[in-house]
Amino acid sequence: MADLVDSMLDLMRRLPPTHVEENVAALVGMCPDYADDLLGSVDQPLKAMVDRTAGREYLACDYNRDGESYRSPWSNEYDPPLDDGTVPSAKLRKLEVVANEAFDTYREMYFEGGVSSVYLWDLEDSGFAGVVLLKKSLTSSSLSEPSGAWDSIHVFEVAERGRQAHYKLTSTIMLSMVDRGVAQNSKEDKVEAKRDGEVTLSGSMTRQTEQDHSLQDQNSHITNIGRMIEDMEIKMRNLLQEVYFGKTRDVVFDLRSLEDLEKARRQRELQKELVGLIKR
Amino acid sequence: MDAENRIHAASKFLLQSPPGEINDVLNDVRNIISDDESLQTGILPALREYNLAQFITAEVPGHQHQCIVSEAARVQQAGGEGDEEQQDRFWDPRSRTSFRFDHLALEASDLEPIEPDADSEPFRLALENSSLTYLSAHFHDGVAAVFSTQGNPDRFIIQVVANKYNPSNFWSGRWRSEYIVNLNERTLEGKILVNVHYYEQGNVQLSTSHTVSLELPQTISAENATASASKVLAIVETEESKYQTSLNEAYQDMGEKTFKGLRRALPMTRAKMDWDKVLGYKLGQELSASKGGFAAA
Repeated sequence: MADLVDSMLDLMRRLPPTHVEENVAALVGMCPDYADDLLGSVDQPLKAMVDRTAGREYLACDYNRDGESYRSPWSNEYDPPLDDGTVPSAKLRKLEVVANEAFDTYREMYFEGGVSSVYLWDLEDSGFAGVVLLKKSLTSSSLSEPSGAWDSIHVFEVAERGRQAHYKLTSTIMLSMVDRGVAQNSKEDKVEAKRDGEVTLSGSMTRQTEQDHSLQDQNSHITNIGRMIEDMEIKMRNLLQEVYFGKTRDVVFDLRSLEDLEKARRQRELQKELVGLIKR
Repeated sequence: MDAENRIHAASKFLLQSPPGEINDVLNDVRNIISDDESLQTGILPALREYNLAQFITAEVPGHQHQCIVSEAARVQQAGGEGDEEQQDRFWDPRSRTSFRFDHLALEASDLEPIEPDADSEPFRLALENSSLTYLSAHFHDGVAAVFSTQGNPDRFIIQVVANKYNPSNFWSGRWRSEYIVNLNERTLEGKILVNVHYYEQGNVQLSTSHTVSLELPQTISAENATASASKVLAIVETEESKYQTSLNEAYQDMGEKTFKGLRRALPMTRAKMDWDKVLGYKLGQELSASKGGFAAA
């Protein structure tokens, strides 16, 4: 029934991104047999949790979940605690620790705040996979200041081929912004007026890439994946800027014109007449 | 989840459909529910609610213009409560016709002539003419309708809707606005709602709401219908143009403050991260720390 999952994914591509969590929950309730397919393919906003042992925040998603518990990348422990929770092999955990440190630096350089987490897991046949998560939120302190949230989810698969490795990266960025300070009353108002409103821009975009890079040691995986993710985020940030602030705005101005269309029409006709006169 | 809850969940999905995509959402829901019989009867209330709230437009057979199907367009008839036949009768004041509306096929049928209320019709007609002039001045592809209120000859509702659907380029948009004119209380209550969906390799939506309530100038009266109606629409035009300008400012604010505040285009150094250095530096630090440990031992 790949058909059914396709319909669920098409639905999620159409329904408002602001309601993704409740809509996914409703779909899981309707088709419990497909819960894993759905939860594995629909990205939802990341949740920040606190690792009490390490005293710092980490991000929870489907990739560090075991049952009802989430594993922290800092202490490698599950919350609520699990005796037999899935953890990466010792070798991979070592790489995970280094990756978390590197992406913590990356987070500080680009996001100047927020939370990051990297989770790695061994693949059955060979190689490994992982996810790099980044989240930053801005809460508004006044009406004139919009609030917003950025969630990056970079899922990758690594296949080693001697001194080379093949990387497959799927990146999703969820971005939402809310402005409640739109069209307040102005001093130009000649009559008594009351106004209220809200503008919400929200959504997600997904892109994929596959690349081969050379290996010196295990840590090369982090520099390789790091550069791929950095390039992808730079590319996607430009894309988001274009779609959020360019495309959606263009549609609004396609629906309604600020200029008087009738006046423009009359002007064009007048011009045509003038051209006609000159030609005669 | 039992059948009733599944229909309830499906109805909630339908009500969230982006502009022009209700059929796509319906197809998905049909596949998920896979019980056409219970779906067909179960989702009718949701389709009706969606159409009325979204100002769905309909062709009136035999007329060149489109009309709006909304709560304000519903024909009020005594004793018709609960009767679906009555619930789905709407009127188009412009052609003085009432019709039955099929919420799934979006078609009007069973046309009947309808006599307008003599007291309110002159002002309603004046508002309609001014609204159509306003519509052609600012909307590329819009529909406008003006309704009078049964039992209150001083209350009128102006509705405007403009849709642009472009599925081959993965976007759609809808502008809705509604103004309640009350000549007796001299008030104008308005709301503007804009929805845009962009879904090429993603799902990005703009959703805006704006309400305004203001006092109408003394000069506006039913006796002076033509001049008053054009004054009302001049107020609407100013309000909507001002709103559109402020939307532009909101875009700028979100782009300058929020977007940049969430993630920088490049780090402070204006160069991409030096991954070798970041990892090498960390390794070097670990190395010297462990060396120090050995030396101390």
